[in-house]
Amino acid sequence: MEERRKQIGRRSLLKASGIVAASGAFGSLWALVAGAGTSAKARKRARWIRSVGRPTLGETTTEYKRFSGNDIFTIYRQLKDQRDGAGSFEAEQASKAKRLAAWTAEKKPGYSLPDRQLSEGGFTVMHSAKPGSGLLSWTRPAAPTAEESLPQRYIASPEEMANTVKAAARLYGAGLVGIAPMNEAYVNLQVPHREPPRKDHPEKDASQKNQHPMVQRQEREHPSGEHSLAPHRDGEHQIGERGKDQLQTVQPPQDKDIVFEDTDVPAVTDAKFVIPRKMKWVVAIAIPMDLDLLSRAPTALGDAAAALGYSHSAFVVASLAVFIRGLGYEAIPCVNDTAQSIPFAVDAGIGELSRLNKLVTPEFGAAVRLCKVFTDLPMALDKPVDFGLVEFCKTCRKCAEACPSRALSFDDEPSFKTRGPWNNPGHKAWFEDSYKCYEYWQKTGTGCGVCLTSCPYTKGDQAWVHEAVKATASIAPAADGVFRVMDNAFGYGKQHDPEQWWTKDHSDRRG
Amino acid sequence: MANATDVFTITIRKRSWWFWALAGLWLLLEVLILQTALASARESEYRAAAISWIAAIVLAAAGVFAWLRRGQPRRPSESRGQQ
Repeated sequence: MEERRKQIGRRSLLKASGIVAASGAFGSLWALVAGAGTSAKARKRARWIRSVGRPTLGETTTEYKRFSGNDIFTIYRQLKDQRDGAGSFEAEQASKAKRLAAWTAEKKPGYSLPDRQLSEGGFTVMHSAKPGSGLLSWTRPAAPTAEESLPQRYIASPEEMANTVKAAARLYGAGLVGIAPMNEAYVNLQVPHREPPRKDHPEKDASQKNQHPMVQRQEREHPSGEHSLAPHRDGEHQIGERGKDQLQTVQPPQDKDIVFEDTDVPAVTDAKFVIPRKMKWVVAIAIPMDLDLLSRAPTALGDAAAALGYSHSAFVVASLAVFIRGLGYEAIPCVNDTAQSIPFAVDAGIGELSRLNKLVTPEFGAAVRLCKVFTDLPMALDKPVDFGLVEFCKTCRKCAEACPSRALSFDDEPSFKTRGPWNNPGHKAWFEDSYKCYEYWQKTGTGCGVCLTSCPYTKGDQAWVHEAVKATASIAPAADGVFRVMDNAFGYGKQHDPEQWWTKDHSDRRG
Repeated sequence: MANATDVFTITIRKRSWWFWALAGLWLLLEVLILQTALASARESEYRAAAISWIAAIVLAAAGVFAWLRRGQPRRPSESRGQQ
């Protein structure tokens, strides 16, 4: 009898092992069944990414209004002087420039000259993308002559139009594309003018050396003593000439209002940016960033991932705008400028709003840059998505713990409580302290991005297990805690060695 | 050396359905973990790759052990009819 019991016990053990194995394998099976083959090239999304009627997070109240358009780069400068006294911003910039120069001279990993120039090279396209002009022009390059006429309008069903535009956007380099309705509340009130460096103020000019490209012009110092001047991102036009200290600076425009008017074509005048009210569609686009580079942040190498993301964004929206205009419609290409990209991306179903207070996509996690094109081309709209992210964020908190400046929220639930003038009140979110975040940027001398790579949804697309985990998390929030623990145990989200990037085999890297 | 008069008994035992189901799951998991190990190394996630390799080896060993263990003839006392 005892032997019989032993036999049953062994069988039970094997059966129990089977159940455990089955639960482990369930995710992968579910992922396969749910069509989890969501490589960057896949057009159809996995079935575990459910379309829903309204966004899972970000609900608005009547308090929600158009944002000023002043981002943290502008706000920080004002607040720094208010909090730490007049001139503290300038002093901080000077100190940062000195520190960066020293790190570069001593070839600190992630800050060597090649590291920093990799970032500069990555920004090349974005540097020439100024809201409303150049690559991001709101209008056709030239008005048609009497002999010419506007192109014949391409007519098709809204669904076909949406597919056509999405296919083009994909070709140009978009990772994810969705169509959202225009919402005027998401459009900024102004295109802010950034103060250019002043030639008559050498101290101030020096203080801006080696500053992050998002903020100011960068003046690069070469060991040879040569200077080359990188063009500013926006707000001014500068012509760089290696070996010369001369600048040709065109007087930048002042702050300009963004207005909606009943006109046929978009316009940029000396006083304002005009968006025609007939532009009721927004093509929201996510550009995946190079995760290998981003995982080396916070360094200049990490910056290079963001730089490339911006340049790719500018290229994609500029190309798509030309494509749409060629179909006989109007198009306004925007990167970070003109409007808030995240709410449009949420409405277009590209991803969900996360604890980062940034968009997290099911395919690329938080490692994306967002951009958009406004148009009057009628297209079928996409719906917001739910893949279990908000519930996951409630349990996870990995980004908040990883943030070196403790800028992210540890709150259990999202709320309407904002944390500073950089937040737009009237919507529900996990609000961040952007001042702390940007203050940390001054210490690193570059951007950060640690939160982006720490997110358990930010993973490469090669390992099937990530798809299995995401698919399971979308239907079983009870497993979120286990996945968070496993993510840590496997060492995901940690900074990779910046030095190793240069010695890696890059032969299989595609541009 | 066996004599011509020796009698040999070959027992062919049918494995139960759940054993085959378990074997299928084992194979699926093994493939998944091995793929994770290889892919993680390609993605420079070396800790994940190392853990996955260890898990794959342990699981493979467990699978082989279970297969061989189930394939061994039962002692008479383990048979159902000889309680």
